[in-house]
Amino acid sequence: MSIEVKNINKRFGDFVALDNINLDIQTGELLALLGPSGCGKTTLLRIVAGLETADQGSILFHGEDATDTHVRERQVGFVFQHYALFRHMTVFENVAFGLRVRPKHTRPTEAAIKQKVHALLELVQLDWLADRYPAQLSGGQRQRIALARALAVEPRVLLLDEPFGALDTQVRKELRRWLRRLHDEMHITSVFVTHDQEEALEVADRVVVMNKGRIEQTGTPEQVYDQPATPFVYQFLGDVNLFHSRVHEGWAEVGGTRFAAPEASDKAVIYVRPHEIDIQRVATDTALAGVITHVRLLGATVRLEVNVAAGDPVEVELTRERYVEGRWSVGEAVWLSPREARVYAG
Amino acid sequence: MSGTQNAPRSIVTTESAPVRWLLTGIALLFVALFLVIPLVSVFAEAFKQGWRLYLAALVEPDAWSAIKLTLLTAVIAVPLNLVFGVAAAWAIAKFDFKGKSFLITLIDLPFSVSPVVAGLIYVLLFGAQGWWGPWLAEHDIKIIFAVPGIVLATVFVTFPFVARELIPLMEAQGSEEEQAALVLGASGWQTFWRVTLPNIKWGLLYGVILANARAMGEFGAVSVVSGHIRGMTNTIPLHVEILYNEYNFVAAFACASILALLALVTLAAKSYVEWAAARQAAEDRRHAVE
Amino acid sequence: MAFKQHSVLPGFGLSLGFTLLYLSLIVLLPLSALVVKAGHMEWSAFWHAISEPRVLASYRVTFGASLIAAVINLLFGLLLAWVLVRYSFPGKRIVDALVDLPFALPTAVAGIALATLYAPNGSVGQYLDLVGIKVAFTPLGIVFALTFITLPFVVRTVQPVLQDLEVELEEAAASLGATRWQIFLRVILPTLLPALLTGFALAFARAIGEYGSVIFIAGNMPFVSEITPLMIISKLEQYDYLGATAIALVMLVVSFAMLLVINGLQWWSAKRLGRRK
Repeated sequence: MSIEVKNINKRFGDFVALDNINLDIQTGELLALLGPSGCGKTTLLRIVAGLETADQGSILFHGEDATDTHVRERQVGFVFQHYALFRHMTVFENVAFGLRVRPKHTRPTEAAIKQKVHALLELVQLDWLADRYPAQLSGGQRQRIALARALAVEPRVLLLDEPFGALDTQVRKELRRWLRRLHDEMHITSVFVTHDQEEALEVADRVVVMNKGRIEQTGTPEQVYDQPATPFVYQFLGDVNLFHSRVHEGWAEVGGTRFAAPEASDKAVIYVRPHEIDIQRVATDTALAGVITHVRLLGATVRLEVNVAAGDPVEVELTRERYVEGRWSVGEAVWLSPREARVYAG
Repeated sequence: MSGTQNAPRSIVTTESAPVRWLLTGIALLFVALFLVIPLVSVFAEAFKQGWRLYLAALVEPDAWSAIKLTLLTAVIAVPLNLVFGVAAAWAIAKFDFKGKSFLITLIDLPFSVSPVVAGLIYVLLFGAQGWWGPWLAEHDIKIIFAVPGIVLATVFVTFPFVARELIPLMEAQGSEEEQAALVLGASGWQTFWRVTLPNIKWGLLYGVILANARAMGEFGAVSVVSGHIRGMTNTIPLHVEILYNEYNFVAAFACASILALLALVTLAAKSYVEWAAARQAAEDRRHAVE
Repeated sequence: MAFKQHSVLPGFGLSLGFTLLYLSLIVLLPLSALVVKAGHMEWSAFWHAISEPRVLASYRVTFGASLIAAVINLLFGLLLAWVLVRYSFPGKRIVDALVDLPFALPTAVAGIALATLYAPNGSVGQYLDLVGIKVAFTPLGIVFALTFITLPFVVRTVQPVLQDLEVELEEAAASLGATRWQIFLRVILPTLLPALLTGFALAFARAIGEYGSVIFIAGNMPFVSEITPLMIISKLEQYDYLGATAIALVMLVVSFAMLLVINGLQWWSAKRLGRRK
């Protein structure tokens, strides 16, 4: 089912949580709302769910206005960051809850409920935990039960608020691959909120990057990573070096390397990712002189920190092989030249 | 945005306005009927016949001696239980030993014993027919139907107040700070006075306020051991009873109004201590974050 | 395991020693005097003392009125806690502070105030009298006094649990299609249940032993409105120490039983809320 978000505004007192948000979510896609905390992504998710009301704007489900539909009738599945499992109910009863609270004439029979709950528990591979209480489960198990509970009511949309936020690294990696596979099987329109760029890029079909209540960019993971629309997106998705430059006849430069600058500005900021910088021992007129001050080994890659004459130290990322080949060491004089960069008006 | 306190509740998790008003209305009506009206009526009855009779009832010698006895009782009982509460909390909260939870249950015991039974047990010990009655009579020591009995019964009913405030508080605080003080060379007493006491002062005060209110207002237990001798062994609550039974309502309510005033002061002090303790806790948290 | 685990902090012997000595002198020794005294009685005399008709009637009055008062406070205590935690209205802080009034106001004062208010010519009683309801000097009066005395218990046990109840639980239930009433019955109430029962038990235990507030309003008519603590007093006034001791022992046993129930409820409550050490 498709969702349209139209001109949504929301304030909490003086704080603008959402500033005129427009967004189309396509049927069957897995969309990530990505941004730093306080950017409004959770508020947007809660407004789509009907847990919060917008000050202005509307939400359309499959072309129908759902703005004033109560969350009870919206048929959304919502998975909470801290799971919100009912502590006094077993896993089975938690999953069955949505079926048991239906009005009598639409409530399934006890046998049907049992069958359905066990099918869902099998889907999340936790059928053997049916009689346990939430307190007896691990974090990852709780999250999967929360998902099974949300799916029990056959929601038209699945909304997940920081679904892996409270888990440790190993479990969250496993669980997000599992979520991706689950989505590929079920094809239910899903939206999840995260502040972790790696998570968004790995799992989602499309990523919506938000900042300060606005959408900065919407696109596939490749698009937002390779063609960031704004400086914020560039900085938020991965590490970046910043160079300030004056603009001369439409060109900005780093060291001596020139990049096309946006028109109508006399200053520019040049963004270069650490792995997009070449390092060498020979001076050229298109390279920036510097001295290596730190070497950090990060598993398969190596980061060199290079002090340059003007501005902040520059980070350069090399593969392990190139680092070993080059025998770079602290205190060496080096020359840097960016291969690629994006230039924004400064 | 998880579990934020005092955040405005969304439409989903509250009731519609009419339901809210209805429930609030019923709750307030209940409070008015059972709490406010009885409280107000104490003062209304006391001043029914004007200031002069009110004051006359208070300066009358028997009333005056009842006031003095009540103060004396509280001045003895509260500090005794304060010292006990601190000692018990120190032993229970700072150390691990067998039978700890049973000890806590025993400390709570006086709360669940009927005040009348609390008075009776001292009569059985010290009364004319009690265990030590004959011996006491021989040495001309009066405990029952005298001030010592009143003090003992009051100590019993106010026994747990300070301890039960301090035990959970000190358990929650742990003993890292005390260990740090010892490592820095402080003696045991220095550690207690300079580290432990400042940390528990609000809890301590809270317990003392409640114990004091109960000590000054206790009726059942004191009534059994007092003997109701006017001007001698009457506390204010007992004096109120006598006046009331003599149909001297204005005087009864005049004396009762002192106790009601005490209750209001107690509530105000309690609210202040709760507020101050919450503020301190918030400050500690902030410092911890920084 | 040794009796005490090793600790670097000083003062264990002194503080525990003083605690045990003081506890023994003030609480344990006097209470054992009661048990020993009762032990001197012949079984038949003991049985007669605790089962004579007037005493039996007093049990009925005490337990009946205490039960009704505790039920009233179960309902209104929940309502009051709910309103204080979830809604805002002018004067909320004052109402919140006033809830503790029964703990702070001496019972005798409460007793004479309620008796005067609800007497047939009292400022509230006269209106109730018009519609034929008599409160003062009837068992109903006892219920009123006990309701007053035990009012804070349920409010104060439920309030913190309600405060800590995660909003997400209710939101989750709503997103699964539950109505507000279903959410209350199936999610909120089960979570509050241990606290509600603990408050109920505390109120009931306190009501059973209450004396000061009741005797003024009860009228103290034999077989109708005499409470058990009053029976102890009246035995004492007749110098029937053995009779008083026997009844007191019954009350003490009930107190112990209630204490066990309350401890059990608190343990269950902690477990239910998922607090683990």
